[in-house]
Amino acid sequence: MTVDPRALAELLEESQDLQADALRPTHAALDELVDLSHSSDGEDVTSNQAFHEEHQRGLRASFAGASLLGAAGGAALIGVLASAAGAQSSKDVQVLQTAAAIENLAVATYKTALTLPYIGGATANGVVTKFATVTMGQHVQHADAFNSAIKSLGGKAQTKPDPAFVPVVNKAVKSLTGASAAAGTMGVVGLALELENIAAETYVKDTTLVSSSSNKALLASIMGVEAQHVAVLLAVQALLKANAAQLISLSEPATVEALPAAAGSVGFPNAFYKTSSAAPASQGAVK
Amino acid sequence: MSKRNKKAQFAGTEGELNQMTQELDEFHNDASVSSMWAGVSNMIDGMRGAEVTKRPTSRRTFLVGAGAAMAGGATLLAVGSTPGLAAAATRAESRLHLTDTAMFPPAGYTGDLAVAATAASLENLAVYAYNAGLTAATANKLGPVPPAVANFATTAKAQHTQHAAAWNAVLKSNGKKPITETNPTLTPTIQAAFAKVTDVTELAQLALMLEMAAAATYQAETSKLKSTAAIGLSASIEPVEMQHIAILYYVMGMYPGSQTTAGSPIAFSSTSAAA
Repeated sequence: MTVDPRALAELLEESQDLQADALRPTHAALDELVDLSHSSDGEDVTSNQAFHEEHQRGLRASFAGASLLGAAGGAALIGVLASAAGAQSSKDVQVLQTAAAIENLAVATYKTALTLPYIGGATANGVVTKFATVTMGQHVQHADAFNSAIKSLGGKAQTKPDPAFVPVVNKAVKSLTGASAAAGTMGVVGLALELENIAAETYVKDTTLVSSSSNKALLASIMGVEAQHVAVLLAVQALLKANAAQLISLSEPATVEALPAAAGSVGFPNAFYKTSSAAPASQGAVK
Repeated sequence: MSKRNKKAQFAGTEGELNQMTQELDEFHNDASVSSMWAGVSNMIDGMRGAEVTKRPTSRRTFLVGAGAAMAGGATLLAVGSTPGLAAAATRAESRLHLTDTAMFPPAGYTGDLAVAATAASLENLAVYAYNAGLTAATANKLGPVPPAVANFATTAKAQHTQHAAAWNAVLKSNGKKPITETNPTLTPTIQAAFAKVTDVTELAQLALMLEMAAAATYQAETSKLKSTAAIGLSASIEPVEMQHIAILYYVMGMYPGSQTTAGSPIAFSSTSAAA
């Protein structure tokens, strides 16, 4: 399967219309966000600092729990991140800025991946290319939505990628240089999988941290989409490992009949979504 | 089971299903699942006292919305009225516990606990539907069943069983009886739709509608629940239902993610099915 750019553009245009519909409740809720912002003006610096410190502790736990986080460098980074977080912002703003930072990193990662011949080139699997393209566009929209919410609360938009993960992603991308198509594809899928899972787990956890119901709704409208990305990447990864890349297909007939039984469940390994790899809530907060 | 090619090879033998069930039993005893139950237990502690929060209209809209979504699914499934699954549906019906809609949730289940009861009833319905589907597949009522589809249904059913158990654990810990009945609003619709299913593609469409209603419901409730523990539980289930949706789309040969009826992917999941 090859990707028809015009068809994709039409698809994205239609999707944008639908996004407008889907986001209508969110936009309607922005008024509430603004109200909350005003009502939380009294949210004192001490409280915000306490939230920040609490999530520095979460950061240390996170380093121990997630491989991407763990690879990010440990204690030295904790010090950097501690000073980077915006303790003056409300906790909702800190959470949203971290979410935007994760989205920005995801966008950059997919953008880079799509420059690789085995992801975005003519020799790439068409389903993988389409997935990467659509998913990148979705992360752009997620980042925009988080930043809209941040600005409605009077905070600074987060336009940069999550500082904790950038060196790790850069290193992973660099390691793909000279890799075979098979190894490179596997590497990209593994990296994307880890990023998507961190995003999903972070948002699941954040629904219990934010104060505003609108922010809960926004996070809830995105976490499931990230979880779907995880499901797809898990399935793709499993098929690649099984040397069955030909089964990564939506257009070829009868592929589902040839799928191994495990493909039916590999995409949802847990009955309850975990949060052990969630990024600390203030990790991506703007100074 | 591609929507473009239904000539699949039969692979859903009873022996395989039994094997899958055994594997799932082993999975249930896995340490990670034990850890999950510990988490639910903590959530239950956090739920205590949340019952006093009363939201009488929330549950109603939640049910009406889910019912509307399922009505849409029934319309889809009305194509081809051969009652190929009628027998299987009748057998599976014995597992249903019907309740008067007006009497559900039972008196005394208010606020977050009303939502917990409704969530449990929805999960029970999903378990019923997957169980009926697997029973029909084993009895060769669905034609060829790809092994990935059989495995999907078995695993999804097991996870919905765990979801129902988690909500019922919450109820029990708050002094309420667990909910064993299927959702009274949706059950008649599901029964009627299921009776018209003739193959796995139609069954997958029915499952898709159920999963979409569940995911949308949890998404909507995540921002409405009062108890942090209940929010956490709801938020931990919604992404899993969304993953079920993605894989269902994939096995149906469609783009594996939330999308419009026209098949266009969307970046934000909608609560329209939960109204």
